[in-house]
Amino acid sequence: MRNLYQLTGICLVAASMVSSPAGADATLPIADAHVHYSHDSVELTPPERVIELMRSAGLKFALVSSSDDNGTQLLSELAPDLIIPGLRPYRRRGEIGTWFEDDAALAYVEKLLAENSYATIGEFHLFGSSADLPIPTRIVELAAEHNLILHAHSDADAVERLLAQNDQVKVLWAHSGFDQPEVISAMLSKHDRLWADLAFRSEPGSGGTVSPEWMKLFTEHPDRMMLGTDTYTPERMYYLPEHAESARVWLDTLPADLAERIAWKNAHDLLMPVWQANQSKASMATTATVAQQSCEPASGSAAHKISDSPVIYLEPSDAIAVSEQFTAVVTVCGSELSDSAFKLDATMPSHGHGMNYSPQHTVLAQSDDMMKVQVDGLVLHMPGDWQWQVELNNGDERNTYSHTFSVQ
Amino acid sequence: MRRLSVLCCLPVVPAIAFVIALAATQYGYTQTTETASVLSGPERALIKSFGPWPVPVPQDPGNELSGLPWAEQLGEKLFADTDLSGSRRLACISCHLPDKGFADGLSVAVGAGTHVRNTQGLYNAGLQRWFGWDGGADSLWAASLRPLLSELEMAASIDELAGNLRNKNYINVALAQYGDTSALSGEEFVVLLAKAIASYTRTIVSPQTEFDTFRAALLAGDVQALEKYSASALRGLKIFFGSANCHVCHFGANFSNGEFHDVGRPFFTGVGRVDPGRHSGIKRVKGDRYNLAGEFNGVVEPRELRKTQTVKLTQSNFGQWRTPSLRNLTLTAPYMHDGSLATLKDVVDYYSDIDPARLHSQGESILKPLNLDEQSRDDLVRFLETLSP
Repeated sequence: MRNLYQLTGICLVAASMVSSPAGADATLPIADAHVHYSHDSVELTPPERVIELMRSAGLKFALVSSSDDNGTQLLSELAPDLIIPGLRPYRRRGEIGTWFEDDAALAYVEKLLAENSYATIGEFHLFGSSADLPIPTRIVELAAEHNLILHAHSDADAVERLLAQNDQVKVLWAHSGFDQPEVISAMLSKHDRLWADLAFRSEPGSGGTVSPEWMKLFTEHPDRMMLGTDTYTPERMYYLPEHAESARVWLDTLPADLAERIAWKNAHDLLMPVWQANQSKASMATTATVAQQSCEPASGSAAHKISDSPVIYLEPSDAIAVSEQFTAVVTVCGSELSDSAFKLDATMPSHGHGMNYSPQHTVLAQSDDMMKVQVDGLVLHMPGDWQWQVELNNGDERNTYSHTFSVQ
Repeated sequence: MRRLSVLCCLPVVPAIAFVIALAATQYGYTQTTETASVLSGPERALIKSFGPWPVPVPQDPGNELSGLPWAEQLGEKLFADTDLSGSRRLACISCHLPDKGFADGLSVAVGAGTHVRNTQGLYNAGLQRWFGWDGGADSLWAASLRPLLSELEMAASIDELAGNLRNKNYINVALAQYGDTSALSGEEFVVLLAKAIASYTRTIVSPQTEFDTFRAALLAGDVQALEKYSASALRGLKIFFGSANCHVCHFGANFSNGEFHDVGRPFFTGVGRVDPGRHSGIKRVKGDRYNLAGEFNGVVEPRELRKTQTVKLTQSNFGQWRTPSLRNLTLTAPYMHDGSLATLKDVVDYYSDIDPARLHSQGESILKPLNLDEQSRDDLVRFLETLSP
């Protein structure tokens, strides 16, 4: 027993080294597409410790879904760079076999979708013809409406029923259905909107090597498989570092590009575009809430003050660099703004030209005394003095405001 | 003695050593030399932003094969395969010759027909935002597909390409890493191969140059390394970053801001015919079925897609051309979008004597006649030469 503790200690030390900046480049990043932080786990392990475990595992990011959703939100707030939230239709443990006939579960999902942003609905459990019941059918509709991927712990039959309900929806097949490699391969070949995670599957890297059957699957579908731990009990949260380490052992036997794809790239390519798009909405909502409370720029001196009356300031998402695309949020505080149209442009007066792009405007919040607009796709393609041009148009009244700044 | 003559020729020479040191400290440098001291603090800061080299090459947008070693190797083989042309006589490498900076040395490209544009070198192509002189492609893979299908270039059709390439052993061996391609349509298959070619061309990165060594020495205060940069090149550098304003468009480590400008070059291609440049490029990319908004985009990233969605078509685009990188120029003569200037000296002469009447009212007012003397023209050429290996 003493030896076991010693070994565990060595593993933890190794995992800590993984997370150190000096060694990070030498370590294969891992994306964990199957983490739960449910109510009992929250009680036993504080969110800070969970994040610490994830970082020590060298995780690039993790798809987290929890029963109830509180655990996911706690982790998201603490480490937004690390967590991709998924929405489980479970309010507590024990709803695995009942949720698909429970109107309250559906109401719970709809309520949370209105409040937060996610990348997936799931992981949920659903088998056979149950996938065609009214509540799962509505879940598929919600996934399509909210740009969400279904994370389904299902048999092949249910997966096919889900995919058949909507021609846009994508499915991440939890545990690869616990099916054999040839069945998984056939499913992936048949459905181009299907991906599969390897959560709680020890077979692929058994003994630190990959058997020919699994190798065949990976090479046939190099861009569809991804890793997962499945922290379905509170204790398994502590398995995250070891899972990542053991995965690296068998991934190391694969061609480097294939290993990288399974380790994190496939999960990234599937989840990140969806999450970024949905996160943007969340950012808008958050910003809108803040805006209603204050007319001061959150970024302080980094903000560009365009006008004092009305107060107009612009906050770039990053430091502005020549010919690099960036996003800005512009806040206007004044009066009679509720019907105003807003437009931001940038010109280079000394050169007699402006930008080569018409940036995209999204109104984040608008009331009578305040409006906040996100402007995407700004590119200032030359160094020198630029001028922001803000136009506020309120029916017959059109006002313009400008602010000169330097880009080097 | 050589250094003395440098100092005499330059307009800004800090006279007091501690002032030099003070400026250096302000901009983060700890050591100066006589050679380096002819550069002001702001000039040093500006030069700093033109490196280091090489810079990381981003993934080719929308290309699921980008960065995969097997795809890069396949792409390199495809690049030299004449079965990619309708005549089965031309390969990419027929016009993109490695010893000519992956250009061809001709004024205008000659493939299945004679083009109206100069063949662009492929070094560092992966660093661009838009591809081609007109930016008519928004990804390297779309730009790789374009010449295959152009009647003036390789003049093949999708069906011909699929027929020529489907059963080639080296392709099928490589694509085993991708998966089963038997279900792909001919078009999907050809697009996949274009993505492999782009995966390869993305890896074509030019080596460090005299300028990079000078820049690094300047930042490090490496006296011995600084001394190796010629006085003529240093004078040319000061013109480039100073009165000539070249750096404004030829900005950053790749000496290109990746955008489009009208520098007053003629763009007639014959009697009654013009090449509209960027104007046609924007229309082309917006309507291209192989753009990032299309069904062949294998890695949809909203940020990458945005440029295609938001690029403006304006009158000023007519006659604009993509700012070329100034790296590797000694390999890629002749110059300009139509190869109409044979030497670097011709290019410098053109800008020095530029006709303001060619620059319409919305043109870049940064362009104006420089009236450089012969020595300064030679110096500017020498500086440009230090951007090549």
